[in-house]
Amino acid sequence: MARFLLIFVGILVGLFAIEMLKPVQEAVIQPFTGLLAALSTAIILPFDDTVIAQGRILRDASTGFAVSIEAGCNGVEAAIVLIAGVVAFPASVKHKLIAISAGFFFVQALNIVRIISLFYLGQWNYTVFEWFHLYLWPVLIMLDVLVVYAIYLQWLGKQHPGVESA
Amino acid sequence: MLMRRQFVLTLILMPITFGIWYAAGTLFAAPAVWLCDFLLSSAYPNIVEALGLQGVKVLARTQFGEDGGVIMAAAEAGNQIALEINTRLVSYSIAFYAALLMASNLKDAIYKFCIGLFWLWLIMAFGLASILGKDLLLVVGAPFLNAPGVPPADLIALTYQFNVLLMPTLAPVCLWFWQLRGSPLWEALANDIKRASARA
Repeated sequence: MARFLLIFVGILVGLFAIEMLKPVQEAVIQPFTGLLAALSTAIILPFDDTVIAQGRILRDASTGFAVSIEAGCNGVEAAIVLIAGVVAFPASVKHKLIAISAGFFFVQALNIVRIISLFYLGQWNYTVFEWFHLYLWPVLIMLDVLVVYAIYLQWLGKQHPGVESA
Repeated sequence: MLMRRQFVLTLILMPITFGIWYAAGTLFAAPAVWLCDFLLSSAYPNIVEALGLQGVKVLARTQFGEDGGVIMAAAEAGNQIALEINTRLVSYSIAFYAALLMASNLKDAIYKFCIGLFWLWLIMAFGLASILGKDLLLVVGAPFLNAPGVPPADLIALTYQFNVLLMPTLAPVCLWFWQLRGSPLWEALANDIKRASARA
C-alpha cells in the first residue's frame, strides 16, 4: 500500500509538472484542447449548424455565446490521475497500456459530453452553467475515473481466475 | 455488484448532499478560511493582512496598494488591494465526500464523516491559499513575487493546479477509500486487488 501511494503521488506530481511546461503546453496540451473543441463541434454540427470551433473556443454564430476550453477543462488532469493509479498498481506493461488507452478514451468521451452540455447550459442559464462547470462536472469526471479504475481492477483479476482471496 | 451499488447511490445522493452544502454555504467553509487566515497571516504577514469571510466569499486584505497604476506597499499607496475568493471552488469536496460516504452505508458513518471533514478543511485551507497565490500573481505580479518567502511563479501555478483543480475531487475519493476498511465493499475491493496483484 505504501509503495502504491509513493508511486501514485510521485507520478501524479511529476506528470502535473510536465503538463505545465511551456513546450509541452504548446506541442501537446493546446493542440489536444483544440482537437477536443473540433470534435465537440463535429458532434454538434449535424444537429445545430450554428456552431463553430475557433481553436479552443466553441462559439454559437447566432447568439454569439462562446465557451473556451481551458486548463482543467480538457480532461488531462483526470487522465493523469488515472495514469498514476494504473502505473502505480502492479500489472504487466501490456495490461497497463490497455488500461491507460481505454481509460483515456472513456474520460475524454465523458469530457466531450461535458463540453457540449456546458455549451448549451451556458446559453440557457448562466447560474446553472456555473454550477455544472465548477462543481458537478469535476465530480462526475472523477467518478468516471473511479469507475474505470474499479473496472480495470476487476478485469485484471479475471485475467487470473485461479487466485482466490484468503 | 457492491461497487455498482456504490456508484449508483453516490449519483442519487449527490443532489441531496450538494443541496445541503449549497444551503449551508458559510458553515462548511468557515473553518478552512480561519485556518488559511492563520497560516497566511503567520507565514506571510508582509503580504496578507487578514482574511475575512463574507457569505461564501473570502475577502483577503493584502499589504499591497495601488497608485496611478503602480503596485506598491499599502502604507505608501494609502489604499489596500483586497481580493475576493469564492470558497465554493474548494468546499464542494465536502458534498462529494458526503455522497461517497453515505452511499457506502458504513458503521460509525457520522464519526468517520467528522474525521474526513477535518482533513478536508485542512486541504481546503491550502486550496484557498493557492487561489490567493494565483490571484496575487496575476493582480500584483512582480512586487508579490519579489517579497521574501514567496515561491517561484511556476510553483505557484503547479500548486494551484494541484490544490484547486485536482484535490477537491481527489481528496474525497482518497478519504472515502481509507475509511472503507472493514466494510463489505472494502472486502470486495480487496478481493479484486488481491486477484489483480497475483496476476502481476
